Amino acid sequence: MTGARKLLVHHLKNSMQSLQEAQKLSGHTERVWCVSWNPSGTLLASCSSDKTIRIWGKEGENWVCKSVLTDAHTRTVRSVSWSPCGQYLAAASFDATTSVWSRKGGEFECLATLEGHENEVKSSSWACTGSLLATCSRDKSVWIWEVTADEEFECASVMSTHTQDVKRVKWHPTKELLASCGYDDTVRLYREESDDWECCNTLKGHSSTVWALDFNQTGNRLATCSADCSLKIWQEYEPGNAEGVNTTDNISVWKCVCTVSGFHERPIYDVSWSTLEDLLVTAGGDDSLCVYREVLTADAKNSPKFEMVARVRGAHAEDINSVVWSPSEKGLLASASDDGDVKLWKLLQEA
Amino acid sequence: MPVNRSRNLNKQVSGPLRTISSQARLGQERFRGPRPRSSPCLAMASQFSGALQLTDLDDFITPSQECIKPVQIDRTPGKVGKIRVEDDGSYTEISQSGEEVKLKKAKITLNDCLACSGCITSAESVLISQQSQDELYRVLHENAAHAETGDPSQEKVVVVSVSPQARASLAAKFKLSSETAGKKLTAFFKRLGVHYVFDTTFARNFSLIESCHEFIRRYQALETDKKSLPMLASACPGWICYAEKTHGSYILPYISTSKSPQQVMGSIVKDYLAQRLGKTADSVYHVTVMPCFDKKLEASRADFFSEVYQTRDVDCVITSGEVEKMLEKEGSSLTDAEEMDLDSVFLHGTPEPTYSHRGGGSGGYLEHIAIHAASVLHGHKVDDLQYKVLRNQDFQEVTVEAEGKPPLKFAIAYGFRNIQNIVQRIKRNKCTYHFVEIMACPSGCSNGGGQIRSGGEGESQKERLQSVEEIYKGVPVVDPFQQRQVEELYAQWLGGRDSDMAKRLLHTQYHEIEKSTSALTIKW
Amino acid sequence: MVSLDNANPVVFLRRKERHVLPEEEDDDVTDKFDSREVFDLIRVINDPEHPLTLEELNVVEESNVKVDDDANAVYILFTPTIPHCSMATLIGLSIRVKLLRALPSRFKVDVKISPGTHDSEHAVNKQLADKERVAAALENSHLLEVVNQCLVRRATG
Repeated sequence: MTGARKLLVHHLKNSMQSLQEAQKLSGHTERVWCVSWNPSGTLLASCSSDKTIRIWGKEGENWVCKSVLTDAHTRTVRSVSWSPCGQYLAAASFDATTSVWSRKGGEFECLATLEGHENEVKSSSWACTGSLLATCSRDKSVWIWEVTADEEFECASVMSTHTQDVKRVKWHPTKELLASCGYDDTVRLYREESDDWECCNTLKGHSSTVWALDFNQTGNRLATCSADCSLKIWQEYEPGNAEGVNTTDNISVWKCVCTVSGFHERPIYDVSWSTLEDLLVTAGGDDSLCVYREVLTADAKNSPKFEMVARVRGAHAEDINSVVWSPSEKGLLASASDDGDVKLWKLLQEA
Repeated sequence: MPVNRSRNLNKQVSGPLRTISSQARLGQERFRGPRPRSSPCLAMASQFSGALQLTDLDDFITPSQECIKPVQIDRTPGKVGKIRVEDDGSYTEISQSGEEVKLKKAKITLNDCLACSGCITSAESVLISQQSQDELYRVLHENAAHAETGDPSQEKVVVVSVSPQARASLAAKFKLSSETAGKKLTAFFKRLGVHYVFDTTFARNFSLIESCHEFIRRYQALETDKKSLPMLASACPGWICYAEKTHGSYILPYISTSKSPQQVMGSIVKDYLAQRLGKTADSVYHVTVMPCFDKKLEASRADFFSEVYQTRDVDCVITSGEVEKMLEKEGSSLTDAEEMDLDSVFLHGTPEPTYSHRGGGSGGYLEHIAIHAASVLHGHKVDDLQYKVLRNQDFQEVTVEAEGKPPLKFAIAYGFRNIQNIVQRIKRNKCTYHFVEIMACPSGCSNGGGQIRSGGEGESQKERLQSVEEIYKGVPVVDPFQQRQVEELYAQWLGGRDSDMAKRLLHTQYHEIEKSTSALTIKW
Repeated sequence: MVSLDNANPVVFLRRKERHVLPEEEDDDVTDKFDSREVFDLIRVINDPEHPLTLEELNVVEESNVKVDDDANAVYILFTPTIPHCSMATLIGLSIRVKLLRALPSRFKVDVKISPGTHDSEHAVNKQLADKERVAAALENSHLLEVVNQCLVRRATG
């Protein structure tokens, strides 16, 4: 059989940028589903079908595996997410539970195992305040857990607005506004209303499973990516907006203002919006990574344009499941793949 | 949908009888019971328009990937035929001789739903095809036909028992008091041919008394049986179904064995009343009017089926919303309907007064048990309980204290999110309550899934719920322990408080439903 | 009760075993995957219900297997024996798992129902294309057991 495919770095004339592999982190024995930076960007957590979580940190110029968290899950660990303070790590697993790890010194200790979902938990996310944790599952529900003063987790709400498998949850960067997306091709937003949480927006537009979503740094835009091979940008229109977009019940409306397609040939599994500069990156089942930048246009709010500034075909030997910008270092990003590797990439200005 | 596409079916390999899997689509799915919900039943209401509940009533269910039920099939070997898919999606089998037979579709009963661990949701189409106002109409029409053909012995005694929450919902809709709504409903049903109309509040006396006694028994057994407390309320069928399917042996021992008011009413009607009327249980047709679809599932439980008479204690459950549909069909509005007194199960002709019990719209289980326990265990008479709101309005606790005695702690936990926290605390051995009044619906039974939704008209669903709760409360309360008629039934019918009869007729049991491990039915 | 599933399917003839060329057995020669080779991998998969292979039931056909070795692409259409076959997802899963195990990991495999041959075509296709659902399914030991039974090669004869 043919060996590993030759790495192809795609150069684009107009962009003058390229994505260069900085380091390959090997260790997981099966497909890696997710990578996540801690808020200060000093640690990287990854999780895998090998049922473990790996914590990577920098030693000198190199990233090395600092610890392997095992024995918390009996099946695939699907995703990991850090709390805003960086002290807690939540891991969602196909075994229907979510484990919460506490970082004390250099050690990680399993603090709690959250039960309640009927089957595979797909994703988790911490709210900006750190007191709420959201999880979602194939059981079609999104749960919000409240962290009590004594580090207990209590169920604050269960929302079953999705009609299918929920793939991803993500909190707004500054508000208690939650977003989820999934197999029913929709994106939903939730907020707390008097005594309970409720779905306040349903975003339709993708024609297949919405795999992932991410807010921009200020939280007035949302990027979503889908098995329909497209990336969509949604703009928030607040009540009383200058554009005259109708809102009801004093709730913002989110409208799709841009669809980026034609760059991935297979499902796009992840999207990340840099918090340091206005860059987006997507990763997909076509083994490639794409970086986009917004082009200056006259009406940037209502009809923005995004151009691809770098693409790496064959960035991994197999599907890329996860990609995320570093929160502390411009142009640094991490990716994870079915090939069992985590990779670090640097976005470079073309010479 | 493919049209008239034929595929050959070679029947030479088949044996006479084999079990294979077949499927049925469970039409419009709705969440049942403590299934997570976004906002208190509001989301549901929009999912099930009135039109949906009434139209598309097929007596079969169309196939899909969603629900798979193993069935036995009878195959005659040797025939060669084709199956044609018709425009409407039905199937016609064409034999070699050209004979066409329309194929029947697999039918799923409520019992199948109860026995299956596949999902904890139930299907609207299953519920409405097997227990609906149409079923009641069918029985009434048959009765009318028997009366015409001069065969009154075939006629069934038709009994309708109305729950106070459903009555309050109808009263709110037509801007009536609970009592007036009850009387107007009685007249409405009797004009349709119903013989007796009762109030299930009467049966609730027994549910409350039995729950109180059971609590004391469990409290006293705590030293020898760790699983005797916390006692968990049993009146909500959605919660029971969820517990049986999801938490099984872990949680079931904690659930009170006392029957719900609907099922106590079932025993009274099919046992006591039938005897009084000199009838067998199967010649009485018993309908209840409930605030909740899940009561249909409760009525279908094998525990409430008489093998001897091949009849259920409650034959048919219709919801408040379905009664509204009946009123529409009859061109009747409760506002201008005549009034008739409710019947008493003693059949003495004295009108049954309208009364309620203390506590909220879910039956007052916590209230009665707390007061009874304070009196029996603490020797204190408590008049007023202090409810402390916890995480949300649907999670509240009550502590009863007495000097020198360990405090008694009670809680109400309504809605899926609060049920979760109680269940998890019990699993982790961290539940400090002695009794929890668990109900699947947020806001409890007044807000049941079968209640009439606000139809706009400037009234929000929240306002409608408030009005239902106020109407529900606007009825004088009685102490179930002080009811002469209740005492009479215990003595006459059941042979005493702790008799075997009382145990058999007023208590029930729960069954863990094993997770299916047949790969052919696993959803992935 | 009459069942809807196909208890008496038409049985088709199996194709002859492929003649193996000498150079194919030479490990030093890198040869490309072609449709016949991929078809050979899946035609022997057993039906979950019948003691017959997918080839014998005409669920898979060589003409419905497309392979582009240079593009690392394998595209397979399968045809359930009846339009409401409840086994369609399981059959699709078996095909997917067989190729997952047998083909080099560089291949992107798409397994779909032949257009217009199943009532839930779209739903089944979507589920089979969802790598996460497939991965989770294969961690279910009961399901895996059935899939493995489909993949065990029975004695021909």
